[in-house]
Amino acid sequence: MRSLLAIIAAKVALKTNRITGSGGTALPGMLAQKLDKDILRKLVLKNFPKGIIVVTGTNGKTTTSRFIANILEEAGISYVHNRAGSNMERGLISTMAENTNLYGRVDADVALFEVDEAFMPKVCRAIEPDTIVVTNLFRDQLDRYGELDKIARSFRNLFEDLPNTKLVLNADDPLVASLGYELENERKATYFGVGDYNGPKITNDHTADSIFDPFTQQKLHYTDRYFGHIGRYRGKRGGFTRPKPDFQANNVRQKGIENIKFDVNKTSKAIKLEMPGLFNVYNAIAAYSVAKICLDTEENNIISALNESSAVFGRSEQLNYLNREVVMLLIKNPTGLNQIIQTYLLKEKDRLLVFVINDNFADGRDISWLWDAAFEDLKGYRGKILVGGTRAYDMALRLKYAGLKGVSIESDENSLLKMIEKNSTRRSKIFILPTYTAMLSMRSKIAANDDKAKEFWQ
Amino acid sequence: MKAIKIAHLYPERMSIYGDFGNVLVLSQRMNWRGIKNEVVSIEVGDKLPKDIDMIFIGGGQDKGQVVVAEDLMAKSSQIKDFAESGGPLLSVCGGYQLLGEYFISSDYGQIQGIGLFNVISKATETRMIGNILVQSEKFGQLVGFENHSGATEFIGRAQPLGVVKKGFGNNPDDKLEGVIYKNAIGTYLHGSFLPKNPKVADWLIRQAIKYSGQNIKLKELNDELENSARKNAARKA
Repeated sequence: MRSLLAIIAAKVALKTNRITGSGGTALPGMLAQKLDKDILRKLVLKNFPKGIIVVTGTNGKTTTSRFIANILEEAGISYVHNRAGSNMERGLISTMAENTNLYGRVDADVALFEVDEAFMPKVCRAIEPDTIVVTNLFRDQLDRYGELDKIARSFRNLFEDLPNTKLVLNADDPLVASLGYELENERKATYFGVGDYNGPKITNDHTADSIFDPFTQQKLHYTDRYFGHIGRYRGKRGGFTRPKPDFQANNVRQKGIENIKFDVNKTSKAIKLEMPGLFNVYNAIAAYSVAKICLDTEENNIISALNESSAVFGRSEQLNYLNREVVMLLIKNPTGLNQIIQTYLLKEKDRLLVFVINDNFADGRDISWLWDAAFEDLKGYRGKILVGGTRAYDMALRLKYAGLKGVSIESDENSLLKMIEKNSTRRSKIFILPTYTAMLSMRSKIAANDDKAKEFWQ
Repeated sequence: MKAIKIAHLYPERMSIYGDFGNVLVLSQRMNWRGIKNEVVSIEVGDKLPKDIDMIFIGGGQDKGQVVVAEDLMAKSSQIKDFAESGGPLLSVCGGYQLLGEYFISSDYGQIQGIGLFNVISKATETRMIGNILVQSEKFGQLVGFENHSGATEFIGRAQPLGVVKKGFGNNPDDKLEGVIYKNAIGTYLHGSFLPKNPKVADWLIRQAIKYSGQNIKLKELNDELENSARKNAARKA
């Protein structure tokens, strides 16, 4: 009875949201949770005949989930997915309330949830996933998440409490890989990784957090470091070392900022992602691994789904603004930002570049991370740089100390858009790098001028 | 002219809060004035060179701090001699804690510090997070962001860096922030600390020049942007 009320309340709230046009995804979940605190467990557990998949990690959650969703589509498997980035407990409840009938039954075979790292222990103990994917762990919004080691420890305890859950882990991230080291009862994790990468690299990389053996604190030996602490490494003999990936991306070839190609275990057909960046290869190989171990589908379905995937909302999305080509590149931590510099800005040095840095709760209130990102690699950037957001001055200061000239500040977003227009011409390509809340507001302002983007909201 | 040598201690294990920014600011503000300088990274097991003119140590995770504390102990007398003889030093967050008498962490018990500062720190249940505004007699208004669960208190004689106007500082109770002993500073302010507090950066540079035995007058720099950023941050605190 209690859960019936909770579902009704959430459904009413969802309807109201849609009518008023407010995009809030947490409120319906919050209402349902108030009425029945076990609502998430009741709605998810044992409700999906082909399993529950959870994707977590610092960077790449949304894109990896989207890749998996596309594979499910291609394979004709029905699924429920928390799409709009609502990856905390209440967002998951809202997603479920939307997709169940009043008795809490769902008409889908698979649940696919991206879950915020901080909510992992609570959410996963409630829903007992069949598969958990960890993309990577980097310092991120330390004001919200606390220290990395604590997150890793909470994951390790969680995995012990879920002995039947399959673990899909990044072999190239020592901290993530260590989560599958010497599991009890001969349980084995599935590992993904990248075998080689010869594309551009950041030279001023200050984002390595986990270059030490997590058990002994001895330094790991890297034979190749791709970015941050991601790469091929070795530990001391007999101790923790990089596990051999079950699924490894090889022959990684990047073409401009258009696409990136690779194959898996040197045996698969070539996969071509219509988006650039080594980080997307990691997201794709993670999704590939999940599909291989827990979805009953053919390799061809996996590969065509990856080939046809487009960029996810705001993450490297192309929009049209007054006949200018705008590329939106969400930034939230130094590693992600470095990947964007590495992928886009080292190649196209003469574009208009716009940073919009907010310090609202969802952005992380602490902006110190800007000082750890590799703006020094932008030295010699020839384009004009505009800076906006509630922390525009901090951003401008960071660029000053990186030795960049030609930076203009405009905190107000409407004036910033006018400046973008003034500093570009028709058919110009513009890179906008916003933090999360800045992305939402900039995107809605730009989308008002772009019919294609408007559809994306629905 | 002899290059000013800054020792950046443990960048691999102790730089999680934009600590790199502090070193960058020191170095750039010398570059812009034509003062030769050099930053040497000192990791666990490395020797601390004898001819350094400044020491910087940032913040790390509790886990990393255990290893760092042992290594610091081996360098203890050299660091203390440096500070006692007027060498400038800046320590932030975890680094600050390890230069005190000891730090009682929640997971690793008591970690012995080198006792340069008359302070002790203890892990608490409250994480002190947010924008912070401090009034310092020596430097005026200071801004930053703090994020620590360790609470620091003075034992015996110690002089704070400043008085907390908004935020927590050393601990939730006494409204004091940081410590200053001779030319050595400990603080919980990151964000990074020096970019928006250029007076402190220039003061450290002046002390380093003096310590190196040279006589160079610091040219004024245009700090308009630094000051705007500081005022903007102060409004947020």
